[in-house]
Amino acid sequence: MTLDVFLLILRLLGIVLLYLFLMQVIISITRDLRKTSVANEGALSQLPPVVGHLIVVDSGPSKIAPGTSFSLNPQTTIGRGPTNTIQISETFVSAEHTRLWFRNGVWYVQDAGSTNGTFLNNQPARDALQARVGDIIQVGFIRFKLAQ
Amino acid sequence: MAKQLATSEIGKRRFRWKERWLLLIPGIFLLLEMFQLPLAQYYKNNIDTSRQQSVLSLLPTVHDLIPIIGFLAAVVVVHIVLTIFFPKSDQMLFPIVALMSGLGVLLALRNGPDTFPSDPNLGMKQLLWVSIGLGVFLITLFALRSMGWLRRYKYTWAVLGLILVGITLGNALRVKNLDSPTHDQLNFGPFALQPSEFLKIIIVVFFAAYLSENQDVIADGGFRLGPISLPPMRQLGPLLLMLGIALVLFLGVRELGLALLIYGIFLSMLYLGSNKVTYVIGGLVVFFLLGFIGYSLFSYVRARFAAVGLDMVNWQNWTTGSGTNTTVYFAQNTGLQIAQGLVAISSGGILGTGFGLGHASALVPVAQSDMVVSVLGEEFGLAGLFALIGFYLILLYRGFRIAIEARGTFNQLLAGGLTSIFGIQTLIICAGNLKLIPLTGIPLPFLSYGGSSVIANFIIIGILLRISHNTAMEKEGLA
Repeated sequence: MTLDVFLLILRLLGIVLLYLFLMQVIISITRDLRKTSVANEGALSQLPPVVGHLIVVDSGPSKIAPGTSFSLNPQTTIGRGPTNTIQISETFVSAEHTRLWFRNGVWYVQDAGSTNGTFLNNQPARDALQARVGDIIQVGFIRFKLAQ
Repeated sequence: MAKQLATSEIGKRRFRWKERWLLLIPGIFLLLEMFQLPLAQYYKNNIDTSRQQSVLSLLPTVHDLIPIIGFLAAVVVVHIVLTIFFPKSDQMLFPIVALMSGLGVLLALRNGPDTFPSDPNLGMKQLLWVSIGLGVFLITLFALRSMGWLRRYKYTWAVLGLILVGITLGNALRVKNLDSPTHDQLNFGPFALQPSEFLKIIIVVFFAAYLSENQDVIADGGFRLGPISLPPMRQLGPLLLMLGIALVLFLGVRELGLALLIYGIFLSMLYLGSNKVTYVIGGLVVFFLLGFIGYSLFSYVRARFAAVGLDMVNWQNWTTGSGTNTTVYFAQNTGLQIAQGLVAISSGGILGTGFGLGHASALVPVAQSDMVVSVLGEEFGLAGLFALIGFYLILLYRGFRIAIEARGTFNQLLAGGLTSIFGIQTLIICAGNLKLIPLTGIPLPFLSYGGSSVIANFIIIGILLRISHNTAMEKEGLA
């Protein structure tokens, strides 16, 4: 085989390989999209279950009335930002303030990097802490009681 | 049955089969191009005699393939580390990045001997940078256990970045050679670092942290002027200050490309954070006003625009100056670069001349970094350029997908902003090479030669993979 023919073959092979790779990536993307769309349809048909409540005990300087109840999903975020599960529009609440999650029958509370802190029974919750029903969770200056 | 299926599915994901499968073709492609390179060089050097020569006596040995074999070994090591420690991170980003950074090494190997001044070690240097980049990529993945500290110390990052860049630019002003392409580098012995590459990451981190904290205020808008709601200036203050300092620094030393990149990042992150098109339109209006002022004030901006206006077909009549000083325009720096680059791309045609067989790296100034698109266009042709644009698009798609799925506004904004760096940078440099906008010297991600740029890009990919890993772990309730 002469050199110029060989180089031509190599060049075409290179382009073919590039497009094969592109095709392979696009196929795995479509497969991935199909899988997530099926998963999303499943998720949309059932709203996240309510597994607990937070009841305001002491509303501090905020306008929320004591006794107000918020429902909790297995993954709940509290904060001022619009993407939180529980949105509290108060200046002393950070955009993303507190994370609560429910796993294997146990509640966990963790601060999400807030300015005024999250406390579980007056203990700062910088790391994830286990919470029981009846515990007091303080978000900024608002105090909640964890209820069923 | 269903349960069995689910477990096999999880097993598949745990061992990253998709990534391994996707790494196969890039590996073959890179070996093939490396194999072709010595043949092409021999062919070009002996153009009269080599055409009909039998190929068997010329076949490269394993010894010639060592750079790419070394690169692939590093890629396999990184893949194994990912499989063990980060099994749930995104599986499509790394194969694409491996292909592109491998191609970057190949381009440096190919361009090194041909560029002026020639540097036969360019390829090995790029290989070293890519290996360091892969190491930094893994360090980033391990170091960012939670994104918390990135967010918490946002002002520290901002000040650190600005000081670093300030020192470099002060250095550049002291040297007073703004036309030298390396005037924004910091030298540490044999290494030259370009802090502006890292500043863009720092700026995205700062913007993401700041916007995620003030998202509700910025999205609501401040005071209104009829139908237009202006953004609240008090909350935007720190952002605008940061933006202003960065822009002034870069415009002061004629880094138009970086100024454009930073402004583009600002607009896309403002849009991602506030979901308001009016802010972006307002930002673009301000941009055109500033551009017009710059155009009428600074001669170097006018010179850049003059290159865009070149009439390629009418090249005989390009002149500048007058009387005895008249020179043909494309004999000068910017005009020459653009004109030679376009000639190279058009001579590549649809399938290209073949890797190593083009002339762009010898004839286009700075072909190894700023004008790498013209080398690619000549040697891989239109088909190759389209494939590469496709890879960049998929990179963007995966990045924005990671952003959409991420938990928490900060992670979403961070992933979105980092991804838009790739998008804007590719857009600016490709459009510059194709004479659609003024040419500015910023690197094409992963393909241009340059240590800082490669390392910064690997840091970005590391952060993206870490975010996707965290998202998957949280979704499955493991974190």
